[in-house]
Amino acid sequence: MTTVSDRSITRSPRTEARNDVVDDRVANGGYRIQELPTAPPQHRLVGRDGPRADATAKVTGKAVYGADIVRPGMLHAKVLRSPHAHARIVSIDISAARALTGVTAIVTQDEIAGLQCYGTMVKDQPVVATGVVRYVGDVVAGVAAVDERTALAALDLIRVEYEVLPAVFTVDEALADSAPVIHPDEPFGVIPKYGQGASASLRSEPNVSYEFRYSTGSSDVWDTCDHVFEDAFHFSRMNHMHLEPFVTVAEASADEIEVWTSTQAPFNLRKELSRVFGLPENRIRVHVPLIGGGFGAKNGPKADPVAIRLSQLSGGRAVRFCMTTEEVFLTVSQHAATLIVKSGVRADGTFIARRSTVLLNGGAYAEHSPAVAEKAGYRMPGAYRWQHIDSVCKVVTTNTVPAGAFRGFGGTQATWASERQVDLIADRLGLDPYELRVRNLKALGEEFVPGESGIDSDLVAGMRVVADAIGYHQRARTGNRGMGVSVGVKDGGGINKPAMARVKVTTRGDVLLNCALTEMGQGGHSAMAQLVAEVLRCDPARVAYARIDTDNTPFDQGTNASSGVAVMGQAVRTAAENLRDQVLDWAGAQLAVEPAGLALVDWHVHTPDGAVHDLFPMIMEVFGNTGFEFSADGFYKARNDRRAPLEAPCVFWEIGWAAAEVEVDPETGRITVLQLAVSGDAGKVINKIACRGQDEGAAVFGLGQALFEELRYGPDGELLNAEALLYRVPLAEDVPERFVSITQEQGHGAGPFGSKGMGEGGMLPVASAIAQAVADAVGAQITELPLSPQRVYEAIAAREAGVSR
Amino acid sequence: MSDPDTETSVAGAPAPRGALDISIEFSLNGEKQNCRIDSNAVLLDVLRENLGCRGVRGSCERGVCGACTVLVDDVPVASCSTFAFAVDGASVETVEGLAAADGTLSPQQRAFAECGGYQCGFCTSGMLMLTTGLLRREPRPDRGTIRDWISSNTCRCTGYEMIMESVERAAELTAAQDGDRV
Ligand code: FES
Ligand code: FES
Repeated sequence: MTTVSDRSITRSPRTEARNDVVDDRVANGGYRIQELPTAPPQHRLVGRDGPRADATAKVTGKAVYGADIVRPGMLHAKVLRSPHAHARIVSIDISAARALTGVTAIVTQDEIAGLQCYGTMVKDQPVVATGVVRYVGDVVAGVAAVDERTALAALDLIRVEYEVLPAVFTVDEALADSAPVIHPDEPFGVIPKYGQGASASLRSEPNVSYEFRYSTGSSDVWDTCDHVFEDAFHFSRMNHMHLEPFVTVAEASADEIEVWTSTQAPFNLRKELSRVFGLPENRIRVHVPLIGGGFGAKNGPKADPVAIRLSQLSGGRAVRFCMTTEEVFLTVSQHAATLIVKSGVRADGTFIARRSTVLLNGGAYAEHSPAVAEKAGYRMPGAYRWQHIDSVCKVVTTNTVPAGAFRGFGGTQATWASERQVDLIADRLGLDPYELRVRNLKALGEEFVPGESGIDSDLVAGMRVVADAIGYHQRARTGNRGMGVSVGVKDGGGINKPAMARVKVTTRGDVLLNCALTEMGQGGHSAMAQLVAEVLRCDPARVAYARIDTDNTPFDQGTNASSGVAVMGQAVRTAAENLRDQVLDWAGAQLAVEPAGLALVDWHVHTPDGAVHDLFPMIMEVFGNTGFEFSADGFYKARNDRRAPLEAPCVFWEIGWAAAEVEVDPETGRITVLQLAVSGDAGKVINKIACRGQDEGAAVFGLGQALFEELRYGPDGELLNAEALLYRVPLAEDVPERFVSITQEQGHGAGPFGSKGMGEGGMLPVASAIAQAVADAVGAQITELPLSPQRVYEAIAAREAGVSR
Repeated sequence: MSDPDTETSVAGAPAPRGALDISIEFSLNGEKQNCRIDSNAVLLDVLRENLGCRGVRGSCERGVCGACTVLVDDVPVASCSTFAFAVDGASVETVEGLAAADGTLSPQQRAFAECGGYQCGFCTSGMLMLTTGLLRREPRPDRGTIRDWISSNTCRCTGYEMIMESVERAAELTAAQDGDRV
């Protein structure tokens, strides 16, 4: 291999250039599970390599999603949305719409008296706009009618008079002294109990709904730094673009609400609806069918409040509100962000201190923003060791679509800026970016920050895995090609998050698992069934997942923060173990032997003398025709700890590593990703297909963010590409030809059998790895996403014109 | 699935202005169907609402995502963007028609289940019909051809690799089923 820096040199064909330098175990791309020496060897979990439990339902089209729910006499809802970014509602005339045949109810600000606003931590979003509209797309009125066509016709007949108000769209505009205040009345808000170093305030400035701060170590260490670098980074805003839109079917009266809804968090929804509608939680029932993708968007009420109110106003008839994809774009988005990072380092590259300010564009309503802000701020140190950290994150209210939970949850924003700055520092100090990382990465077991749990992956080992997969260390510097590596970490498993599960077994040994982990594609139901099967030593196909509804399903805080396997998994495992113990106790009593020596295998009891007793006849003997079921519960929650900055130490660390090779066309600025290797640490793989899918899906999400996905706004605050045709998401043709994904089994996870959660980690490092590969290829350090051809072209031109950063 | 020769229509919906009430006849998964529909009804709605094919999914409803893909005379089309009258006299196939009457999965369905070519599953009916169409036209497609075909449909969950592997596997299973061991 020759090393050449002359860009004009003829390039060897792509495949030839690659194959001789890459890890030969993955020379043809694809997937593998890589066990690190610490991987737990014992359990080869049952069903680990088999198809997922939902395979047949999904490939036959028989799977039932929220969008498929039909109730007798069901009505259909449509909503009228604001054409203005910020305006006072002068008057609404619904008389003509009311008179239309087939219309059963209309909801406007006049029909929601007494209802509360909703939101996470800051409650500022009314069921329909009240007095003012705050973004283009804000819901002004809703109509229920015999069909969607009639509801749409009725919307055309509603007359709304607006008085347009000045609006702000960017964080800079919203923070300016002259900016209009978007929520003049202070909304109801709560701040969680933070531990050492962390704090937050509500409305620290007129258009800041939530401000999170974290600080540790002494600021004196700045004096010991040889260099201090300050850089600003920009993060674009994506749409979740889950294929199943927001949809709810509601049946509601003044004192009872029942909804079938596409939600990731049925119990949180129940609690929120209880507040909004002023009803006790036990009068509200939330059913959750399968979910056609969520990625964070399906946390919190979406189509629910309007559908419920319309059902109440329609005499309790079922109302279905299914948004269009265009409406989904107008309901929630990711957070665009401006991140200012100041880092102090020694001449040899040792990291000393970091101060950061993150400004999240939260849109018109708080939505999930406070929780995202907390995480974006908390994750700014990245995977590295610092003696002093000082981090601030503000949610800035603007007249744009509300921003909320999104895959990576603040970690994507933080990783972009944090990792990009590591590369900028390496560039300025003339150090190798890989080596600079290795020097400063936290060691396995080292606390993330004081009072926090230790990092439960070997970060350096993981980086080596992805670097080797693309031949990073042997790269030839030919043409306009370059390589980059990156690592992202996020606390996973949610904060202060309880989970409960119940396992029931019939006399014949048929198992029913009852827990509220929602299946939105991640394979959670399969993984849970496998855990039960592992403990009961039976075929996973024998374990059925009970339908989820808040009346019957044990409590859970929601399917988010990659908490399924690690948090709910522990509750499920405990429930299964409790059940097994109960069965063995019972069998021991029947057989007059000590239960301690018994084993349960496929609904047979094995005694130490080698005898095998079929449980079914034993149970029939006692209960006969009356029948019987064994049932046991499980519970899990990380303990609270006042030392932990975020109430409780994090359950596990979700890590994503990425390495990329790109080729940049300097004439057009177009990037071709030649190779992309991504890796997550599953701790222990419970379901192989699901682990792989989570990491690959996340990586391609990250690829979209890196290269082209971005919501664009017009001068009046209207979204310019808020629909599937104009908003481009990655297609099969965008996936790099050499795409390698590797699931590591490091074995340090807090979940059952050493497992950890996955699903978000794989997204974190992709954009920064690609950006560094671009810098490596053409010397242009780009600090703004996406890396569009225009942006790349301009950066190259600026660099060539000698404009230094 | 409705009986052949029975007529169905969208319940309760007043005809939109200018739309005619028309009759069409076509074959759906091998069964003859007669439907009275509005002249501007789209195939997706007729399949889902009138004929009970709930496995056909709608998402973008403007011909971009491909979730609603069905086969019309062996050609994959976006049913959300096809007028129902256009299938008069044609043969329409949906995901409901893939498995045999006794429930045996088609090679495509088996391959997707085995290789994990789905996650949330919302794109899956469309991907399966697309794949079925592809393999009828080209029984042994190479990776590039698969990539080109699959690129007409959006999957937001999988990252596509496992879908492409599923299609490769479907080709193998189809060949094996047809006794054509290449
Ligand atoms: S729903 Fe038909 S293409 Fe998207
Ligand atoms: S599996 Fe969810 S969109 Fe493809």
